[in-house]
Amino acid sequence: MNEQKRTVAIHVPVLTRVEGEGALDLRIENGEITELRLRIFEPPRYFEKFLEGHSYTEVPDMVARICGICPVAYQATAVQALEKLFGVELDPWAQAMRRVFYCGEWIQSHSLHIHLLAAPDYFGCNSAIELARIAPDEVRRGLRIQALGNELMELFGARSVHPVGIRVGGFHGAPAQSKVNATRDKLRAALPEAEALIRWAAGIRVPQDDQSFISVAMRHTSDYAIERGQIVTSDGLNIGSADFDAHFAEHHEPFSTALFSTYHQQSYLVGPLARLNLNHDHLPEHVKALLAESGLSLPSRNLFHSMLARSVEVLLALHEALRLLEDYRLPDSPYVDVTPRAGVTTGCTEAPRGMLWHRYEMDDKGYVVNARIVPPTSQNQGRIEEDLRMSLMNFGLDHPDDALRLHCEKVIRNYDPCISCATHFLRMNVERG
Amino acid sequence: MSRVRILGIGSPSGDDQAGWLTVDALRDAGVSDNDQVFIEKLDRPGANLIALLENAAWVIVVDATHSNSQIGRVQRFGQEDWPDYQQGLSSHGLGVIDALKLACELGCLPAKLDLYGIEIGEVVPGEVPGRCIQAATRQLAYLIANDLQQTLAA
Repeated sequence: MNEQKRTVAIHVPVLTRVEGEGALDLRIENGEITELRLRIFEPPRYFEKFLEGHSYTEVPDMVARICGICPVAYQATAVQALEKLFGVELDPWAQAMRRVFYCGEWIQSHSLHIHLLAAPDYFGCNSAIELARIAPDEVRRGLRIQALGNELMELFGARSVHPVGIRVGGFHGAPAQSKVNATRDKLRAALPEAEALIRWAAGIRVPQDDQSFISVAMRHTSDYAIERGQIVTSDGLNIGSADFDAHFAEHHEPFSTALFSTYHQQSYLVGPLARLNLNHDHLPEHVKALLAESGLSLPSRNLFHSMLARSVEVLLALHEALRLLEDYRLPDSPYVDVTPRAGVTTGCTEAPRGMLWHRYEMDDKGYVVNARIVPPTSQNQGRIEEDLRMSLMNFGLDHPDDALRLHCEKVIRNYDPCISCATHFLRMNVERG
Repeated sequence: MSRVRILGIGSPSGDDQAGWLTVDALRDAGVSDNDQVFIEKLDRPGANLIALLENAAWVIVVDATHSNSQIGRVQRFGQEDWPDYQQGLSSHGLGVIDALKLACELGCLPAKLDLYGIEIGEVVPGEVPGRCIQAATRQLAYLIANDLQQTLAA
């Protein structure tokens, strides 16, 4: 047995060109982690300043630019906040179609993450291209499901990347009945594919990890929360979005331009596993049955179950979109008129990768005085660091450097498609003492 | 389903619009959508590119390249010599070459695939493309239009 413990320094300096930019520094000395920092540089900070002085009519299209993968989340959260301030009561059609629109984003984002970003790790592959060699049918299926999510987004947003359909008060336009009918047929046909996806994801062997953490997500009285609900936590908090600041705080760390979020001074988890932990009782019965068949016991304390949680949410989103489009009708108007008011307002929804919170101060002409956006990536940042530390200890620090790095990447990829994507470009320098 | 698809790939950042400018130049040259030809500008399509490769006889992809070569140089790549790169300009890491390789693994490539790269300079958001790029895209559009004319006439 080797008594001499090695010193390992792993620096991951570049996570670039995506919504979340970051790096990872890890130092192990004498069998102990002495430094572990996830540094993320989060573009949404700049958008808050860009929004100042712009009209409420411009806000949905501006915030859509924050993220190429989850623009609907930013749009839906912003309009929810502004509609609350302006006293807008949405037409039931618009309320339902907002959820369908959002389901499209969940479907495409989750499918992208599962098949192209996360799954290769569990098959010993470096990329989806390698995964396609050993699991071509599953990758093809994933791309089909992703494309269907994009199609749903295009249906209401005119395009899937930075869609432009949503407005304060509803939508700019309503999709034609014929287009909805065609999409509905595809959604119905995709249900067995999504069920097969759950079975496939459940069969993937993941590390057994057991950690204590607080889950935070939206919860609605009747729905699996996506576009509306209260903020709830696994330790019993239940608040409206206006009370977010009374319980959650953001702070700077010197090594990161992204803000860290804490809940009562603790790190916390947002995202699919947190949502499933808190809302699995609201899943449709046949999704519950599949979940039970998968063997996943909830609430789960293993973050490596996130991929399975995403696959469950893919089926849920397909199911919801289909349910809400079953009796689709063209509305008299796709939006209601809006009269701006001055004041402060908040909004909160569930982006694919976790809870997204907005706060706006508006003047009486409907122009933004100031804005604050708390994206899921920054909320998860503290939890990712904590998870990396605990998961590495469970994994064992004596593994070769490459294995340590891969394990770190797996852990990071569990949380956020933006970060997951970036970690594909990790460069690592190893120093040995 | 169109037999031929011409896909100009780019982003709004300066020279990276090369693929889009090529589509504009093709349209200026009279190449337009019809029952045989589909022509489209794409903004960093990622995996969505794969669906556009399926069920077509011939796909022409035009994208920017950055290889420290002469700015404005146009290269045509066969499947055997697709360029490799470490960090492209794509969203979420899945660039054009990744999408093509993935399509290849999945058996989705068309019978004929022409990949054109236009060497670009510094990519600056908000700037207009350089003159060399504009000239190169017109030159490439002329070449593609001729190729189309000859092939479709045959």
